[in-house]
Amino acid sequence: MNQSLLVRPARAGVGVVLLAIAVLIASSRPAEAAYAQIEGSGSTWSQVIVNQWITDVSANGIKVTYTGRGSSAGRKAFAAGTTDFGITEVPYQGSGAQGGDDPPPKNRPFSYVPIVAGGTAFTYQVRVGGKMVRNLRLSGDTIAKIFTNKITNWNDPAIAKDNNGTKLPSLKIRPVVRSDGSGTTAQFTAWLDSQHASDWRPFFGRAGLTSYFPRKGNATGANGSDQVMNTIADAAGNGTIGYVEYSYPVNKNFPVVKVLNQSGYYVEPTQYNVAVALTKARIRKDLTQDLLGVYTAQDKRAYPLSSYSYLLLPTGAKDQRMTTSKRQSLADFMFYSLCEGQTKAGKYGYSPLPLNLVQAGFTELSKLKRADPKVNLNDRSVTKCNNPTFVPGNLSANKLAQIAPMPASCDQQGQGPCTTRTGTAPTSVEQVTKASGAGGGSGGSGGASGGDGSAGGASDAPGAGAAIDPETGLPVGSASSGGGAATVAVQTELTAGRAGDDAIFGTLAAVELLAIILAPGVVAVALRRRTRSTTGARS
Amino acid sequence: MRWRKVLATVAVAAVGTGLLTSAGVQAQGDDVGAFRQTKTVERTFTENGDEVRVDRRDVTVQVDHTRNLRGRERVHVTWDGARPSGGRSTSPFGENGMDQEYPVVVLQCRGRDDASLPAAQRVRPETCWTSTVQQRSQLQVPDAAAIWRSDRYADDTARSALSGVRTLPASCGGAAAGTSTHVTPFVSAKGQTFASCSSDTLPPEAAVDASFPPAEQAAFTTVDGKGDIQFEVRSSIENESLGCNDTTACSIVVIPVMGLSCLQSDSRQLNAACRKQGRFEPGSSNFDGQGVDESVSPRYWWTASNWRNRISVPITFGPAPNVCSVLDDRPPVGFYGSELMSQATVQWAPAYCLRKDRFRFQHNVLPDLASFQLMQQDEIPGAFVSSLKTVDGETPTAYAPTAVTGFAISYVIDEPKNAGERGTLNLNARLLAKLLTQSYPGSSLGRQHPGLETNPGSLNADPEFQALNPGLSTGEQEAAAVLVSLSESSDVIKAISTYIDDDPEAHAFIEGQPDPWGMRINPAYQRIQLPVDEWPLLDTFTPAVQQECLKQNNDTPYLTRLAAPVTSFVKIADALLDAWPYSQTKCSGLGTDQFPYVLGRADRQGVGARFLVGVTTLGDAERYGLHTAALQTSAVSPRAPFTTRGRQFVAPSDATLAKAISTARPTGRTQPFALEDGAVRQANGYPGTLVVYTAAKTSGLDRSTARTVASFIRTATTEGQRRGSGNGFLPDGYLPITRTGTTAALFASAQQAAQDVEAQTGTTPGGPGGAGGGGSTDPAAGAPGTDGVPSDAAAAAEDPAAAGGAKQPVDAELKSLGSTQGVHSALGAWFLPALILLLLGCAIAGPVIRLRAAGREDS
Repeated sequence: MNQSLLVRPARAGVGVVLLAIAVLIASSRPAEAAYAQIEGSGSTWSQVIVNQWITDVSANGIKVTYTGRGSSAGRKAFAAGTTDFGITEVPYQGSGAQGGDDPPPKNRPFSYVPIVAGGTAFTYQVRVGGKMVRNLRLSGDTIAKIFTNKITNWNDPAIAKDNNGTKLPSLKIRPVVRSDGSGTTAQFTAWLDSQHASDWRPFFGRAGLTSYFPRKGNATGANGSDQVMNTIADAAGNGTIGYVEYSYPVNKNFPVVKVLNQSGYYVEPTQYNVAVALTKARIRKDLTQDLLGVYTAQDKRAYPLSSYSYLLLPTGAKDQRMTTSKRQSLADFMFYSLCEGQTKAGKYGYSPLPLNLVQAGFTELSKLKRADPKVNLNDRSVTKCNNPTFVPGNLSANKLAQIAPMPASCDQQGQGPCTTRTGTAPTSVEQVTKASGAGGGSGGSGGASGGDGSAGGASDAPGAGAAIDPETGLPVGSASSGGGAATVAVQTELTAGRAGDDAIFGTLAAVELLAIILAPGVVAVALRRRTRSTTGARS
Repeated sequence: MRWRKVLATVAVAAVGTGLLTSAGVQAQGDDVGAFRQTKTVERTFTENGDEVRVDRRDVTVQVDHTRNLRGRERVHVTWDGARPSGGRSTSPFGENGMDQEYPVVVLQCRGRDDASLPAAQRVRPETCWTSTVQQRSQLQVPDAAAIWRSDRYADDTARSALSGVRTLPASCGGAAAGTSTHVTPFVSAKGQTFASCSSDTLPPEAAVDASFPPAEQAAFTTVDGKGDIQFEVRSSIENESLGCNDTTACSIVVIPVMGLSCLQSDSRQLNAACRKQGRFEPGSSNFDGQGVDESVSPRYWWTASNWRNRISVPITFGPAPNVCSVLDDRPPVGFYGSELMSQATVQWAPAYCLRKDRFRFQHNVLPDLASFQLMQQDEIPGAFVSSLKTVDGETPTAYAPTAVTGFAISYVIDEPKNAGERGTLNLNARLLAKLLTQSYPGSSLGRQHPGLETNPGSLNADPEFQALNPGLSTGEQEAAAVLVSLSESSDVIKAISTYIDDDPEAHAFIEGQPDPWGMRINPAYQRIQLPVDEWPLLDTFTPAVQQECLKQNNDTPYLTRLAAPVTSFVKIADALLDAWPYSQTKCSGLGTDQFPYVLGRADRQGVGARFLVGVTTLGDAERYGLHTAALQTSAVSPRAPFTTRGRQFVAPSDATLAKAISTARPTGRTQPFALEDGAVRQANGYPGTLVVYTAAKTSGLDRSTARTVASFIRTATTEGQRRGSGNGFLPDGYLPITRTGTTAALFASAQQAAQDVEAQTGTTPGGPGGAGGGGSTDPAAGAPGTDGVPSDAAAAAEDPAAAGGAKQPVDAELKSLGSTQGVHSALGAWFLPALILLLLGCAIAGPVIRLRAAGREDS
């Protein structure tokens, strides 16, 4: 009774206020173009971040559905006119492509719009004494020979050489390749064809890239990036190595190979190293990428297998699937993705697009308006972009590339290897800015967050994560080989001396066991005493 | 300011006492517009000038709600009295449903069935949506098979050789002698006519095999004349051409297909074709897509004979919610973390951006621990997590309870004999353990696995499952051998594995004790240490195979391919919606260089034979209308003879989530609550209940970030907890956190956390993280995939006393001990030694000290 008496006026009041707010909001609502749902399919390489963007723009009323079926399927569906957009890592391959012809759409004018950059990473499971190696480094040559079945055992001298003499035990290598039509495969084989033709072409039987990896010998096929990760991470996965976008191992906390670049450094596909490498990408007129300069980038930080993926944008005025509302959805989804959406790329294991590509993307978007003058593109421009790679006023500069930390000296050929873990949460722009100091250049002792050492390194190996100064590459504190080896999980040396370890660790284990057994009891007794004294005091 | 505050308080109080305010809460009580109508439908033939009735039925159609709908909302359509269907196809959607007999066609159409309306606003076949040409057009059909021309209710124009359009578009082929063509054009909301007789004359939203699946169905009626479906409505946002919204009226049109009513035609062939009455038995299936008797197929829903039998259900759409502007130049504030929050945060986001005095809120989905680390590194302001996290060098952190929700074991399972979907399912921890440990062999391939030879092939073949869920098909099914689950780390996986670990029967099974029917755990998982944050794939067995395609793709362990976990919960919800397992068991290709043999995703399951079970979030389960299993709460001794009696099963609901939360114990100021599995089960709470916290630093944040986080916590725990489907409201699948009632302690803790985050004066007085958990573990030890996930964090969350040196949790426990002496002290004192006992297998030392301690207490 009382309650309803109280509540009724309150409800009325609330109603009035809410109504007032509603009116306020309604009247202040900007005159937005209506959106209609758009649908697309394609790449799993890009899917992790595309899915997040789709969530983000739903707050703007833009509904997007996307299914990751692989780039080849995405191109096919777009060409057949069953989707509004596609996402792919490589352009249409034309006739005679492996896995069937891949012709561009006949009656559907379209553009390639770059959407996100990233590194094709090599993730692996190699165990030494039951423990996972997390700091493996490989040269491009070794990778090419592994995937063309020329190097078939992890104890191969070439792998030991890449790791500065640290030899892995005898363990059969099992390459894991995509079984479906994949842009990731296309990116990888494009690099193989360009840089390691003598290994690749005899293996493939012809020149060029392919979306369908020719699985042979000991290799395993897996469908989609998710299943590549499962195949590598499962208990039978010891000895496997596969290729996926960097976000997959990062999200699964799995290691990735540091790949040797032209300057003799082994680097991980962090957002920085990808950004640095992509400054060397040549963009063709249709915005497709010529990555030769990326593969051979001279910068110490450059990750050679960096690339970006495209959205297939329908630009025709008579496109059968397009309406004004759908074009507006595409335009604003892309406006968000190209600008603000790029700010989270690093956290998801991607790399933001550089300004020149974003600008080129906007040029393509303007074709939507040309196709349909009712599309509103006002105020949607590069100048409105909050993109971390931009340097205001300098189109060609890339801020990420400018502030990217130099690799540690232990990552250099003939040095190290570094003991820090790979495939951990990447660092952000702010962090590096902080680390490299306001002075913006040399030294800086705030090396704790440099490179990849910050997250995982800190959590598994106290002290080790803070060990490397990103600028000088010098270990802060002790020598890298000594202290690091004892505390870090990534032991790769297989020398004897394990007996001594056993004694030490055996004793330690015994003491710990004893402590675990005794401590709770002791604590319990102590607690009980306190309980009694507390309750005693209270009563 | 003050006024608003008072009002907010009142509003929250009103919600808390169960009285809902009018605004924002849509369609309460009678408002939902439940629909019911009965109509007599019939099929008649003309015989020698007389009308002969072939069949006549009274069909009653009901729809559970029809008002204020949102795009993609599902309404429940049921019917009774319809002619039983035959030849069920594997999918009722779009063109896939065409090869069936006597189905009930359900379409969404623009307009209303109201004679008083002008013609343009009335519903007609031309305003009804279908996705493909096959559903609308019959092109160049030999005259003798053009049964629509024999329709006794059709008018003369509809009986001519070309009907529906005056001239046929070029892409639809020309007229050929001796053939007939009918086209049912689609007229869009803007008045544009699409001939719909070829792929390039379809409206923009239509396509065969589109990413966005069709909504229209040719649904199946059981042998007793009943049927029911979830029908997804589309607003003008999803389907602009159809154009249904708050200003354009629409209907759901239900057509019980009775078969064409036929004239007596001169052509004997045509007469026979039109009068066919079906070749499939009622209740039968047509999995391989054989041809059906056209006259009783859904392909001719547009004929006058079928159309006149329709029942039209008027529906209304709510106004489209206000949305954020893409031109908003405030930088977004990105919180990261648990996917459990997704459905809530999608609704919350506009409530932030639409207010000038707020900020632009975003939720980025990432694994819990990774988000926590980003938060600790000052990369992000706050992380959504569901349990205590520890990282080295941790800054003091407050955990603000932000949502009460959890995981669901969702499923899609068909009753045998096409009798519809199973609506309730009982699962216990041992069944989940059997699924997750890959102990069902799945097929003859898996049965080669040493140790699995005599195990039941899949969940539905397991006598234990059959005892708890009688009446389902018991034939071994590959996809029924696994629980579709997550491949990455998550607090959800930890919660499921805790539920398994704490259950006596499941625990004994994991330890190697067979179930009462002799089923044993897959040896690869025997004695797996639970709980885990990430479920490892431990099996290594590859079977001997005969097929060349399989031979070439036999490296990955069979059971791993079967399990095929994925990277997000929403992908699992998708798989359940489509009944499309991720199992990588389908071999295809030609064995040539160009088309090599490859292994890929298994086929979609056919409607009528679906059986798929997966882990989803409660939010997704509600949003997509998935069925969710009830989980057993009673603890049964593994040594007792098996009986179903006395086993309690609890399904997720507001009430059962509340019961679970009523057992939550505080573990310290602004620290995560202890939600112990044992206590939840004892209270008959839903075992999948989880609290999602906003974790943020209480020291070291800059002032504006601190304020933003505090304001988010306050908004989220007040106006964000009002139930509803509008901007800023809390969707189904979440239990509102309120100032009073069961969740009051969570509410208070959240406000405290907001205050501490805002103040930024946090210290670590022996709090968690500081020296907690006995230092960090070696992440590389243990099962694959679990590396780097500090399992001691898990232990600390389950048992606050185990976090070494954690003074506050201990104090909290002592206080509750004072009030509920006997029970609590026994549990608390027994639990820790028992846990250690299990983990280390040290049988003697623990109890001795325990007993001594107890002895002293007694004295």
